[in-house]
Amino acid sequence: MDFTIPEELKMVQTLVRDFVKEQLLPLEREVLGRESDLAGAMQRLTPETEEKLVKMVKDMGLWGVGIPEELGGVGLGTLGTCLVEEELAKTIIPFNFGDVTPILFDCNEEQKEHYLLPVIEGQKHPYLALIEPGKGIDPAAMELRAERVNSGYLLNGRKLSFSKVGTGDFAIVFAVTDPEGGIRDGVTCLLVDRDTPGFTVVGGEERTGWQAQVAEPVSLIFDNCRVPAEKVLGEEGKALYLGKKWLLSRRVVRGARVVGAAVRLLDVSTEHAKSWQSFGQAISTWPSVQAALADMAIDIHAARLMVYHAAWKADEGEDIHQEAAMVKVFADEMLYRVADRAVQIRGGPAPAGELPLERLCRNIVARSAGQNALEVQRAIITEDVLKLRG
Amino acid sequence: MPLRVQRDVKEIEAVLHEILSTASPPVARCRLLSSGFSAGHALDITEDLAGVKACLGCGNCIDICPVLVREPRRRERTEQRTSMALENLVDEDCDRCYACVLVCPQVDTTIKHYIVNRRMIEVMSRIQERIGDEGEPDLDLFLEEALS
Repeated sequence: MDFTIPEELKMVQTLVRDFVKEQLLPLEREVLGRESDLAGAMQRLTPETEEKLVKMVKDMGLWGVGIPEELGGVGLGTLGTCLVEEELAKTIIPFNFGDVTPILFDCNEEQKEHYLLPVIEGQKHPYLALIEPGKGIDPAAMELRAERVNSGYLLNGRKLSFSKVGTGDFAIVFAVTDPEGGIRDGVTCLLVDRDTPGFTVVGGEERTGWQAQVAEPVSLIFDNCRVPAEKVLGEEGKALYLGKKWLLSRRVVRGARVVGAAVRLLDVSTEHAKSWQSFGQAISTWPSVQAALADMAIDIHAARLMVYHAAWKADEGEDIHQEAAMVKVFADEMLYRVADRAVQIRGGPAPAGELPLERLCRNIVARSAGQNALEVQRAIITEDVLKLRG
Repeated sequence: MPLRVQRDVKEIEAVLHEILSTASPPVARCRLLSSGFSAGHALDITEDLAGVKACLGCGNCIDICPVLVREPRRRERTEQRTSMALENLVDEDCDRCYACVLVCPQVDTTIKHYIVNRRMIEVMSRIQERIGDEGEPDLDLFLEEALS
């Protein structure tokens, strides 16, 4: 058993750590707002700043860390991607090293040229149109229909997308083509260009100040929108099999992001505990605060080991269904515990001076919107437990 | 000692088919279709039990039932370990895996052979369908993708 991180991945980890420290952390104040009323707060970086950072990452040779080499990415594998994402998650700055949804990895040659490669290069940005207002992604409840017409499809319905506002050049749309087909055969994925007649994007305006803390989804409206058949991504009816080879390891990568955020919470808490005086001594000398810091460290260590193990297994080509489910359940619940302790150590609502803590906690609550299915993960784990022990 | 003369499945195939096609533990009815104790069953009692088809209460069917393994709380409703208890505990939720029939000491071997030879492929496919295709899409992965 060897727990050593390979040398080349350690180098990447150090590079990213330095990049976060030198380039991203100094931007936090700018993103969070300079005044106590948060009048200058932003949801995103300015395009100029982002462009500059993207160029730096490309120069470092790390743009597209999670994208397979054969598709033009760095191809670091799951463990390498986890190490990078863990470092990036230590800051609240919304920036990544060329994160592309693996759903697009199943593009055919023509679609690759037109969609995937420009997305990898950062020249195009997709709207992921999967969720419907009040419906989630259950195909049985999905209302957006793609009706077969001459040499194409007619789209009618509405989707929500949490993709970056205003920059979407096309939408990756999941639509029902066969209501009887269910999740196996009934949903088709279509690539719809922004300028296609009948396709409009509304809402999701960028806000400033306190409102910048709230990421509002954009609404994608399809009104008799005609899409040619060659825009089908993958096979008709098989949309929910897209990206199958890569999607599960993304769950582990998300676990790494959680670990990174928890590490930052521990750092913020430790710094505060050492510097805040009470009754003439730093609160870090109080046994209760020490115990809280220790519990945070234990939680983070356990989650990190789970993430690295699952990532290593994924890179070995082994099945990680159970491990990925365990990572999701444990890491997400761990982050809540760590955030709760961080707030307890802080001893009250985070004021302007401690905005990273405040934003990190808000991000955690926002994350929980996607965590409504932890019980599903528990069911996946239990299925294996019963098979092994039953 | 003569061997127990067991039921020839050809005589009961129609009713057996119906029993095995019903979503309810089939062990008790298979037992009643069987030939009961043989004279060779040595029990320390004076009564002549030959031909008696009663449940022995051995509990094999209770222990083997996958529904009760998945949902052990169902067992809390009774301490009985008879085929009647199994029917009450499982009722229409029966997986129709026929494991209860195969482990019952009172069911004729001929009936067990019939199940293994004629019904097991169907059982396997039904259980596979229940578990779900291993490659079936995980909607939650897509939801995470959309929200992250």
